[in-house]
Amino acid sequence: MIHVSQLTKYYGDYPAVQEVSFDVAAGQVVGFLGPNGAGKSTTMRILAGFITATSGTATIAGHDVFWDSVEVRRKIGYMPESCPLYKEMRVNEYLHFRAGIKGIYGSQRRQRIGYVLDRCWLSDVDRQIIGTLSKGYRQRVGLADALLANPPVLILDEPTAGLDPAQIRSTRGLIRELGQQHTILLSTHILSEVEAACDSVIIIHRGRVAVSCSLDDLKARAGARAQLVVVVGGTGDANIFRTLPGVLDVRIRSHAAAETQELRITADDMNSLAPLVSQFATDNEWRLLEMRVERPTLEDLFVQITKKEAAAVV
Amino acid sequence: MRPTLSLIRREFSAYFWSPIAYVVLAVFLAVTGHLFYLSLEMLTAKGPKGISYPMELIVNSVPFWLVFVSIAPLLTMRLFAEEQSSGTLEMLLTAPVRDWQVVCAKYVACYGFYVLMWLPTLLYLPILTDWTWWTLHCEIDPWLIVTTYLGLALAGAMFLSIGLFISSLVKSQMIAALISLFLGMFFVVGGIWRPDMDTSDAPYRVLYYFTVPLHFERSFGRGLIDTRNLILYGSVALLGLFLTVRSLESRRWR
Repeated sequence: MIHVSQLTKYYGDYPAVQEVSFDVAAGQVVGFLGPNGAGKSTTMRILAGFITATSGTATIAGHDVFWDSVEVRRKIGYMPESCPLYKEMRVNEYLHFRAGIKGIYGSQRRQRIGYVLDRCWLSDVDRQIIGTLSKGYRQRVGLADALLANPPVLILDEPTAGLDPAQIRSTRGLIRELGQQHTILLSTHILSEVEAACDSVIIIHRGRVAVSCSLDDLKARAGARAQLVVVVGGTGDANIFRTLPGVLDVRIRSHAAAETQELRITADDMNSLAPLVSQFATDNEWRLLEMRVERPTLEDLFVQITKKEAAAVV
Repeated sequence: MRPTLSLIRREFSAYFWSPIAYVVLAVFLAVTGHLFYLSLEMLTAKGPKGISYPMELIVNSVPFWLVFVSIAPLLTMRLFAEEQSSGTLEMLLTAPVRDWQVVCAKYVACYGFYVLMWLPTLLYLPILTDWTWWTLHCEIDPWLIVTTYLGLALAGAMFLSIGLFISSLVKSQMIAALISLFLGMFFVVGGIWRPDMDTSDAPYRVLYYFTVPLHFERSFGRGLIDTRNLILYGSVALLGLFLTVRSLESRRWR
């Protein structure tokens, strides 16, 4: 649905986006992740036709974003970062205006506006002047506008930035529901959002794509580095845990005062490790105080990836 | 076409959401009203104080041109500058409308406001032409008024187009207004300053080509339609619109 290849954008001498390539299949919800200034907004602006790329191509639904910009804009609903709106207009006036320039008329316009007002929880405030709305409501007006023409592709630039936790949760829910009908490209730097709403992830760092894979793959990568944390009582030599079959590494930290030791064990097969360790501990008369599996979160992974990238650049 | 109509409607109503429209209308009516009053006094005066053409005082007076030249920047300053500073331009330019549609819509909207501003002055006309309504007969030739309005319609188009272009270049409304006022002054200053020149001299003839108040004094006010002047207004207006579309387009490249 969205096909981007070798996209590059320079602002003067500064490369905001460099040779970015990715594909988004129809019906997918893709999280576009990256630290601030990584080039997320620039890429999205190019896709939405607000700015043009220095080089490279991008197509949406088969239309080139440069040569066929207006047709592309008909196919997408775009919500810019911070969601600028005409503050003097009322919500329904604004939506009527946007429907007009998107070519929705007559009964269809009334029906679509009713639908998006309902969908984005705006029905109570449709007579309010946008300038008097809170940030959360304004974001929803922007989202309602993006949905207005029922476009096959939604490009949402930080749709949950500046919202309170309850609003973030409901917006995420909405995005997940919308994902059943629309292809969504969604930028954010909040990882839990990606975990909650997306099928796959594109991590962009310093203008380049660092990782592009499905969420499951990313989780698998995270799972590969899982550790079993075992806390045992006693001051004996815990190195004997190394003799367990399949164990790759054991790191030991002893707390002399509490007479406990904390072991971090990695193994080939994490699933069968826990029963093995507990059996081994009872057999050797270790007091087992605590046992848990720690998986690196997406956050750790993200930090690792962006750090690695940074190191590679230097 | 219909998206353009939606844009025009929004732009036009946007004037009335801010106090600027009412201030412009009030100041404009106060000045033209006062000039109308003075014209009446002169038209009915006995002796050599009188004026020769009905709208002579209105379009040949310094206060009128000072107001006229400052109205166009006030009407055009917000058109693009406001959208750029508040970021709404991004919403507008990612909607499925072409750049020229946006430019034309904004231009038509501000031109519409300009026309609206002149509408109340039509009330002066029956009196200025000494119109007898039951015989439909004008004592004073109405043609002079037709040509004056024609000139005003096109001169306004020129000043508004300059203002629109400047507004598309900058982010600050204040700066947009000041620059377009400065550019507008170029076309008006000769009529206010009134240099002491021989009217057959080459420098005066050059000055005459681009000094709008002189056009009204010498041709439109006297019932003459000078195509040279109309072509100047029309071509500057079109150039302004063309440059605005280009300047909007160039934003995408930067």
